[in-house]
Amino acid sequence: MSEEVKSENKIKRSASSRTRTRKPKRSQIPIGIAVLLIVIAIGVLLTIKSVNLGIFWFIGIIFGFILQRSRFCFTAALRDPSLTGGTSLTKAVLLAFAITSIGFTAIKYGAFIKGLPIPGQGFIAPVSFGTVIGAFMFGIGMVIAGGCASGTLMRVGEGFTMLMITLLFFIVGSLLGAYNYGWWKLNVILKGEPIFLPDIFGWAGAIILQLLFIGVLYLAADKWEKRKNNIK
Amino acid sequence: MKEVVLECYGEACPIPLVKAQKKIEELDAGDILIVQIDHSCAMKNLPEWARKDGHNVEVDEIDDGEWEVIIEKVV
Amino acid sequence: MDLKKNEYYLTVFKNPWTYVKGAVLLSIFQIVSFAATVNPWGVSGAFAYWGAWIFELFGGNVDKWYYFSNSATLDAGFINSASSLRNVGVIFGALLATLLASQFRIKKLKSWRQVIAAMLGGLLMGYGARIASGCNIGALFSGISSLSLSGWVYALFILLGAFVGGKLLTKFFM
Repeated sequence: MSEEVKSENKIKRSASSRTRTRKPKRSQIPIGIAVLLIVIAIGVLLTIKSVNLGIFWFIGIIFGFILQRSRFCFTAALRDPSLTGGTSLTKAVLLAFAITSIGFTAIKYGAFIKGLPIPGQGFIAPVSFGTVIGAFMFGIGMVIAGGCASGTLMRVGEGFTMLMITLLFFIVGSLLGAYNYGWWKLNVILKGEPIFLPDIFGWAGAIILQLLFIGVLYLAADKWEKRKNNIK
Repeated sequence: MKEVVLECYGEACPIPLVKAQKKIEELDAGDILIVQIDHSCAMKNLPEWARKDGHNVEVDEIDDGEWEVIIEKVV
Repeated sequence: MDLKKNEYYLTVFKNPWTYVKGAVLLSIFQIVSFAATVNPWGVSGAFAYWGAWIFELFGGNVDKWYYFSNSATLDAGFINSASSLRNVGVIFGALLATLLASQFRIKKLKSWRQVIAAMLGGLLMGYGARIASGCNIGALFSGISSLSLSGWVYALFILLGAFVGGKLLTKFFM
């Protein structure tokens, strides 16, 4: 749906305030097509080397494309409720959680009942103070830096110089974190344990509870925005 | 009828939005706030906020990756 | 045919998609990616390796670090690192999207405050993601979708962090 407003009564503004009329400029589409060809070429070369690498490359391209086209932003989803009062991205993120949970669970369960090893269990991270402190640090960082992990990559692709600096220091911070990781693992992370919800609630129980919880959060986000709008 | 221009080129999210939200409080009904942005998120979240608040909004793409978000304060 | 006015071009390539469309598509491809690559999407893990490789370029050595004790990924290098390639792919995907919409623009630095915010923010994210075992994608999006309790704990504290970050942003970086 077009975001452009085509209203009959256009907003009247003074001629002097028009900073400039749209320059007849050469479209960037040809450059875009050139980049597309380069992207495909790189993908083909990688696939020849290894199908797996090719898949990762193209998946990245697709994620980047989707993120940019929809201006999807996890940072905004988590920051806007308190900063601007908006929750539209929060609700969209919750929707993504819900759909992805269903898909992931179906795949995991499919493996489970066949007696196969469940994929992706490495992402069931221990619940420890590392989670608490790290997430908190990340939350602060992403808001002041203007983007989260995916958002930073996306904005580098959009030409944002500031986020290129963010990316550089994200890398530095990651190396520092890796440097200290031994200490954290021994003294903090190992004190926690990974908790896979189906182990507690069963497969059906876990996904149902999670979807219900997401639903509750969604309603709360909706109400939050309406309340913020009424307080004027 | 005032026209105020907010230049926000190069600002990261959510700065154009927060600045616009603050600025519009200073305006009267009928005044126009023109926010100049080059951030793709802002050309979406600014109109979304302004419309939810009941104002008239237009988005003008004035160059590649440059927009003017024109907000006419209604209330 | 004026491409710029073509309905199909406008909806697919030019006008922004809705957040809902983004959420649905992102989810579909997360699921597809999980099925195809055995693991969910993660972004920040690769950055530790990028740091290590750059460090090694400057003569550094991470061989004794616990984090890199399983050195297979490190030794194989950037071109063999699937998640590194995926991250670069995200950059190119976004670049592609902006170019095809004719909306690409270099956003230059505006002030020293931006530089400091970027440095500080980047460091916090990099370090925080390591000790929390992931970022907004790997620990939050993928963690929650994997039915890991850690994802929800992460969600609570990243939300609190975002709140504090918002306060700092308005106070110091605006």
